[in-house]
Amino acid sequence: MRRTRLAQSTILAAAAALTMGMVAACHSTPSTTGGGTLTIQGDSGNPTLVENFNPFASGHLNGVNLIYEPLEIPSPIDGTYTEYLATGHTFTDPKTLVYTIRQGVKWSDGKDFTPDDVVFTFTMLRDHPGMDGSGIWQQVSDVSANADTVTFTFKAANVPFASTVAQVPIVPQHLWSAMADPSKDPNTSPVGTGPFALDSFAPTQYTLKKYAGYWQADKIAPDEVDFPAQASNQATNQLDVSSGKFDWAYNFIPDVQNTYVSRDPAHNSYWFPPGGTIGLFLNLTKAPYNNVDFRQGVSLSLDRTAVATKAVNGYLDQASMSGLILPNLKQWLDPSLPNQGLITENPAEAQAAFARAGYTMNSGKLVGPDGKQVTMSISMPGNFSDWVAGATEVVNQLAAVGISAKLDLPEYAQYYQGISNGTFDAAFGGYGGTGNPYTDFNNALASGFATPVGTATGNNFQRFKDPAVDQALATLASATDQAAQQQATYALEQVMYNQVPIVLLYYGGSWGLFSTKNFTGWPSADNPYTLPTTYNNALLTVLTHITKASTP
Amino acid sequence: MTTITPSMKPSAPPGPPATASVPVAIGPLRFLGRALGTLWANGKARIGLVILAANIIIALFAPLLAPHSPTSTDFKPYSDPSASNWFGTTGNGQDVFSQMLYGARVSLLVGLLAGAAATVFAVVVGLIAGYRPGVVDDLLSFVTNLTLVLPGLPLMIVLAAYLPSRSVWTIVLVVAFTGWAYGARVIRSQAKTLRTREFVSASLLAGERLPRVVFREILPNMTSLVAGSFFGAATAAVMAEASLEFLGLGNPSTVSWGTILYYAQQQNALLTGQWVLVFAPGLAIALLATSFTLINFGIDALSNPRLREK
Amino acid sequence: MRYVLGKVGLFLVTLWAAVTLNFVLPRLMPGSPVDAALGRLAQSGRPVTEAERRAVEIQLGLPDTNPFVQYWEYWRSLVRLQFGRSYSFPTETVAQTIGKALPWTLVLVGVTTVVAFIIGTLLGIYAGWRRNRLPDASVTIGSTLLGAFPPFWLGLLALYVLAFQLDWFPIKGGYVPGATPNLSPTFLGDAAWHSVLPAATLALTSLSGWVFGMRNNMINTLGEDYVVFAEANGLRSRTVALLYAARNALLPNVTAFGLTLGGVIGGSVLVEGVFSYPGLGNLLFIAVSNRDYPLMQALFLAITVSMLVAIFLVDLLYFRLDPRVRR
Repeated sequence: MRRTRLAQSTILAAAAALTMGMVAACHSTPSTTGGGTLTIQGDSGNPTLVENFNPFASGHLNGVNLIYEPLEIPSPIDGTYTEYLATGHTFTDPKTLVYTIRQGVKWSDGKDFTPDDVVFTFTMLRDHPGMDGSGIWQQVSDVSANADTVTFTFKAANVPFASTVAQVPIVPQHLWSAMADPSKDPNTSPVGTGPFALDSFAPTQYTLKKYAGYWQADKIAPDEVDFPAQASNQATNQLDVSSGKFDWAYNFIPDVQNTYVSRDPAHNSYWFPPGGTIGLFLNLTKAPYNNVDFRQGVSLSLDRTAVATKAVNGYLDQASMSGLILPNLKQWLDPSLPNQGLITENPAEAQAAFARAGYTMNSGKLVGPDGKQVTMSISMPGNFSDWVAGATEVVNQLAAVGISAKLDLPEYAQYYQGISNGTFDAAFGGYGGTGNPYTDFNNALASGFATPVGTATGNNFQRFKDPAVDQALATLASATDQAAQQQATYALEQVMYNQVPIVLLYYGGSWGLFSTKNFTGWPSADNPYTLPTTYNNALLTVLTHITKASTP
Repeated sequence: MTTITPSMKPSAPPGPPATASVPVAIGPLRFLGRALGTLWANGKARIGLVILAANIIIALFAPLLAPHSPTSTDFKPYSDPSASNWFGTTGNGQDVFSQMLYGARVSLLVGLLAGAAATVFAVVVGLIAGYRPGVVDDLLSFVTNLTLVLPGLPLMIVLAAYLPSRSVWTIVLVVAFTGWAYGARVIRSQAKTLRTREFVSASLLAGERLPRVVFREILPNMTSLVAGSFFGAATAAVMAEASLEFLGLGNPSTVSWGTILYYAQQQNALLTGQWVLVFAPGLAIALLATSFTLINFGIDALSNPRLREK
Repeated sequence: MRYVLGKVGLFLVTLWAAVTLNFVLPRLMPGSPVDAALGRLAQSGRPVTEAERRAVEIQLGLPDTNPFVQYWEYWRSLVRLQFGRSYSFPTETVAQTIGKALPWTLVLVGVTTVVAFIIGTLLGIYAGWRRNRLPDASVTIGSTLLGAFPPFWLGLLALYVLAFQLDWFPIKGGYVPGATPNLSPTFLGDAAWHSVLPAATLALTSLSGWVFGMRNNMINTLGEDYVVFAEANGLRSRTVALLYAARNALLPNVTAFGLTLGGVIGGSVLVEGVFSYPGLGNLLFIAVSNRDYPLMQALFLAITVSMLVAIFLVDLLYFRLDPRVRR
């Protein structure tokens, strides 16, 4: 696998010649003939990239995920852990989390990696709240190192929070302690423990080269990873993908069989697993949405498969009302839920549910106790065209049960202000997708997020409040053994299914497009070891799985 | 907008406007009839009038002509043209042919309304500036010239993003607000010329009040200029509507040629081989804009005998 | 000299008004940039945590709300070319972001305008000379139709057919990925190659202005007594058209430059977007959709000032060319 310097420079020369040829002859061919270079559709250029390798700053480049490593990476699909800078973790009690730190790891500048680097990284997040994007210090009260372990003390029992702690990228104390303001430093000469180091940066592409001293270097196939910038224009990016410029791209593309696979059937493949759930959020502080029977009526009125077909080309299925992404989290699914929590459109039952809420059909209109037709204004950003397409279908379906719904399509900023302040009527929004049932349920149901209307919140936009559900969440948060976690999760699934806090519609996709021309072993439905996302630590997971293709 | 200027320019070449027509001595209806006759005699204007009439008929009778509802999503998405869907279907499963017919309504509405609004604005500003020399004229001329040198489309984008609701009316407003200046400048200089003519001075001396003089004596003598700036602004409006909607600054749930293009781009119709989705609305926009410009050629000929066809 | 002084004064006042308008307009826009920044996170269907939101707020900051303080600060920073920090490009100053994009748009728009002017004027002379005959009709109707095509639409078709299907031109950008802008012949050649489609699209759609202006000027000039006299004296009609009419018709057409430039710049916003060209137009749209006040403000200003300067220069050129205004 390892190449000599000479061989490598030959490849570079060949690549350079190829590039020149491209310019001269204006014929672009996929340029990774050397086999050592992996080309990943990179960050959005907008229109040019800004050099920023600070993993804690907004606007950092995706490549940082191959330069810095976290302690562990939980699978975004089922939550199982893969060890990186830690070799394992245990809860000595539900408030104390202990990581064993890997020995013999070196930073790419040759210095030793130690548990003190871990403590330094977390302390830095405490001292610069702007860097603490995952909210570590809202849960953690103390972090300390002792020999080869690092111990986190939580403010309250929160076992599932281990997955958040595990994913914080660890940075070297000997360099970061010297930064004047680590929250803003663009960190243009990044030094990490990960498999790649920065080779070159240009405004339209950056290149990482393999770090030979990586502690599991034998698992890394490519010598070089190129990240060409994406355009701000989505259609252009799709043309780029379709013309075969990348080994791995993350891009929604319509009619994928024709526009991607059939352009190189021997090598091109796609995997679009669910990565989140799109739901209809009804404002629970308003009538009639505060009535659970009414919400069930809405839920039973919708043909979710039709909605999914319009919104995501039918690439993904209708969502389970259990609140779990299936099949990703199927091991958590309550077996007592009928049909895996999938709701089928049922006009008769819907009318019955509306009737229980006091709403009846009157000459094609669903009329409430006040004698007026039910209206609904569904808000979403006008430029989220997939949501708009799905919501248009929802409006048509609601019209069939007598509800006069219409779309409200502001800019994202106004949309977010509306849902976050609770001044919306109904809205499309995202739910779940963390790979961890507790986090998903907690974000959607915890009454702590249900701020009064007019006060902004970042979660639970529908403002669901139920002390019993808070109790169930606390039970799940402090459960350390599998059986107890399972039971506590079932209880929350029942809440989602029966109380319909959010009308879950369909799964949002994770748009992985792969070419096996140069490398194989990509995540797929048969081998779902991670989601095909190119913008987070799935990059690291994938790079430790792929191997060089035998016939280039 | 590339065509804002070109489409208006024929109506007034730089420098003083061409010869003003003689005082109107005939009734307004006969005048209109004669004007239409002159327009019809002009070959280019005739083509324009035919295209415009066709568009108006399509827009008026869209519900009768369209085989399907333009918003119904009942068809198979991304399908090619067929007997049921002549132009194929969108990625949302809507009938493109029906959308094209209904889309004519929005484009015409925006074009004519924004054109009219901009023209009213242009006439008011132009007349006041032309008849109130001194500070008023200086101020209004300055605002006019300032609006003229501001980059039109970037200004429209900023304004469209500023207005909170996304609707056809937003676009009408924005286009009217940015598209009046050229007409105002032309009308002002014509008004300045007419102010000193004998028939105007005579009316004033005869004791007629100024507004009456302006609207009864002067405005009729500017018919071709007003019509010219109307069609110029209408052309600009049609193009601006398409551009703003294409950029996603319109209301995506309206059915118009601009939103068909917007969705065609969002759903990458060219990549999926849905040629018609991109081709048809672009051509329709171009034809409508062309019809306005062609009519303007005829209007130029009305006001400038040198441009009249023999 | 009074002409020049008047033009300078007008230029300065217009500049002040444009700068002030540029201050007022973006501030009237609703929504907050922090929320727009969060939009990019939420687009994946993943909810944004309150902690993430706060982190973005602390990093990006929120605009000051007092308009008078803002106006004062606006002028102070303007004079020092400090436009603050862009929300979309947090690691560089707005001046840097615009500085990188400006040359691309200047060259694209400049070359396009000159090419369109030459071709359009020639066609206009031809159409005016041969007016009311087939060449005139085909030139006027043809360029009317071309001018009526939305520039982005023509660009889309060119992009798909010539770049994607036939692979003759690059799909996006101003140069090959990985290159760093410099002045070497290789890079310039590559950049020129990338600019062919956007420039051609812009030139084709802006042709009609020059054609009509020139055609009408020609017709007016051909009707002037001195031209009629020349023709009556037996001079050949081609000689009359080119030597007498075209020369005098050309001058007024130059004044239309400023107005046509506005159209080309407007078109370039859309065309740069279609071809992902690294210029100001593409940046402007990004800035508006991100509610990026500092960047948007600076961009609108940069575009407006570029236009004002160009028009001013043309006015000065006109002063040099036309002996009548020199007095």
